[in-house]
Amino acid sequence: MSVELIGLLGIVLLLLLLAFGLPIGVSLALVGVGGMALLISPEAALIKAGVVTFETISRYELGVLPLFLLMAHFCFQAGASQDFFEVAARFVGHRRGGLALASIAGCAGFGAVSGSSLATVATISSVALPEMRKHGYAPGFATGALAAGGTLGVLIPPSGALIVFGIIAEQSIGKLFAAAVIPGLTQALFYMGTIFVVCRINPALGPAIARTPWRERWPAVRRVADIVVLIVFVVGGLMIGWFTPTEAAAVGCVGSLGLCAWRKRVSRAMLAESLRTTLLTTGMIYVVIIGALLFSVFISITGLAQQMSATIQVMEAGPLTAIIVMAIALLLLGSVLDGLALMLLMTPIFLPIVDDLGLSPIWFGIFLVRTMEIGFVHPPLGLNVYVLHEMARDIPLGTMFRGIVPFLITDFLHLALLIAVPALALWLPGVLGS
Amino acid sequence: MPTSDDTPDHITRRAPFRALERLAFIVGSVGLLTAMCADALAVLGRHVGLPLLGSIEVVQASVVLLASAAMLGTTLRDKHARAHLLTDRLSERGQRLLLGCSDAISAVLFLWFAAGSIWIAFELRHGHEHSELLHIPWGGLRLVWIASALLIAIVFAARVLQRNGARS
Repeated sequence: MSVELIGLLGIVLLLLLLAFGLPIGVSLALVGVGGMALLISPEAALIKAGVVTFETISRYELGVLPLFLLMAHFCFQAGASQDFFEVAARFVGHRRGGLALASIAGCAGFGAVSGSSLATVATISSVALPEMRKHGYAPGFATGALAAGGTLGVLIPPSGALIVFGIIAEQSIGKLFAAAVIPGLTQALFYMGTIFVVCRINPALGPAIARTPWRERWPAVRRVADIVVLIVFVVGGLMIGWFTPTEAAAVGCVGSLGLCAWRKRVSRAMLAESLRTTLLTTGMIYVVIIGALLFSVFISITGLAQQMSATIQVMEAGPLTAIIVMAIALLLLGSVLDGLALMLLMTPIFLPIVDDLGLSPIWFGIFLVRTMEIGFVHPPLGLNVYVLHEMARDIPLGTMFRGIVPFLITDFLHLALLIAVPALALWLPGVLGS
Repeated sequence: MPTSDDTPDHITRRAPFRALERLAFIVGSVGLLTAMCADALAVLGRHVGLPLLGSIEVVQASVVLLASAAMLGTTLRDKHARAHLLTDRLSERGQRLLLGCSDAISAVLFLWFAAGSIWIAFELRHGHEHSELLHIPWGGLRLVWIASALLIAIVFAARVLQRNGARS
């Protein structure tokens, strides 16, 4: 049996283990260690496991992840979630589809704090969905806007997915954050454009509400100003090199804790809850990262990625065709795998091919996360939709998935734009780097 | 679906596991807050002209503590990320069987991690590994990780036994 075939069988086994409900990290590590034991020796696999596990948990750069998570929990405890939506609703609520526009803005704002799609959709929906339903928004349209808007949390920095990608692919997290800014903002604009067009065609989907007077708008702006300043300071400082990613996260934690104190939200229970939730998510992600690193060692031993890259070159397919094939593979796998598993499974396979094709790994990181986001809303997995369904059980899943369709079309257009114009992601890191 | 008596969370209601969870929370929190303070002070110190030497080493040590404790805490709470697409469609018996297999495999994997780490620690026992500036002993931190990996394996194994007990 050839080494490449063992690699392919390893991937099939991994998909089976994931389907049977094994923890994602355990599945990745098991295939990685098992493959190494088969291809080299059990002793080598044992030593490699010992080396990789301790090296991973003692990496200074990995401290960025729990610290950004803690910052997000402190911001959440400071009441950031409701404020972003309320500010936007006061400014655009009186337009057709205004509350849906406000939801997208709220998701973009809270996404910058949370770095997670599911957290963003759950948090903003808890405020925005009752409001939209109260004002007669069509249920499918309202949930569609919220499910799509929630995906902004994955891309807009600081993003947990980009941090994990940066660690696995050994890329600068600061550059990845800079690269995500324009795609994240254009994605939000694309969603807003969709809402505008859909409400033009069928105004009954999102009726306008009463205009909020200007004297009531500014106090709302003041409520989010401090959090916006903190986020801009942390992400901006990181991008222009004031501090390393881990330092940026630490400064963000201290700043957000300060905000909680300023807003009189600090208590023993609040601190314990923030720490507990952060540690639970951190533990889950560390196991997945260790698994992904062991799996990528196995994949590199098999030479599978190099083989695929050579096949692409023999076929003279060119980078564009290769990227389109990758996008299709990611979208298909995204129908059955969750985002993190998809990213960690495909990065070790696709990244060497991307390197061989002369494409930027930073651009690839944004492309991968953007493709992964689509999996959060399209059936059958569409986790964001299921989160919304838990919150509004009277709206059928079919109605929710139908409401997603216009946003899904927008997602594909935006992905095509990202492929056609890589500068969308690469311009800002280039400018900041120079 | 599993009943309340044999849900994984049941394990954390037993006194030893409850104590373990509290310990993981305390160690993890100390690590997290130390990392936060060390790096924030390092940034402040650098900008006011009083650099805090060794802050990276403090953060590295804190990250070992918080990661080891966090993985243990996540296991105790059964919060590991899984794909539920197939398992959610199975019967209660099928689900229990798969979860049992999954826990047994996970226990073996973490034992493997612990064994590999013990091997490395044994090889480096005369190396007196420590950090450059603050001389933080890496050997001690390796022991923290090994203890955590072993405890995680024990928690997974206990969950398998608990499920078998519930079935019989």
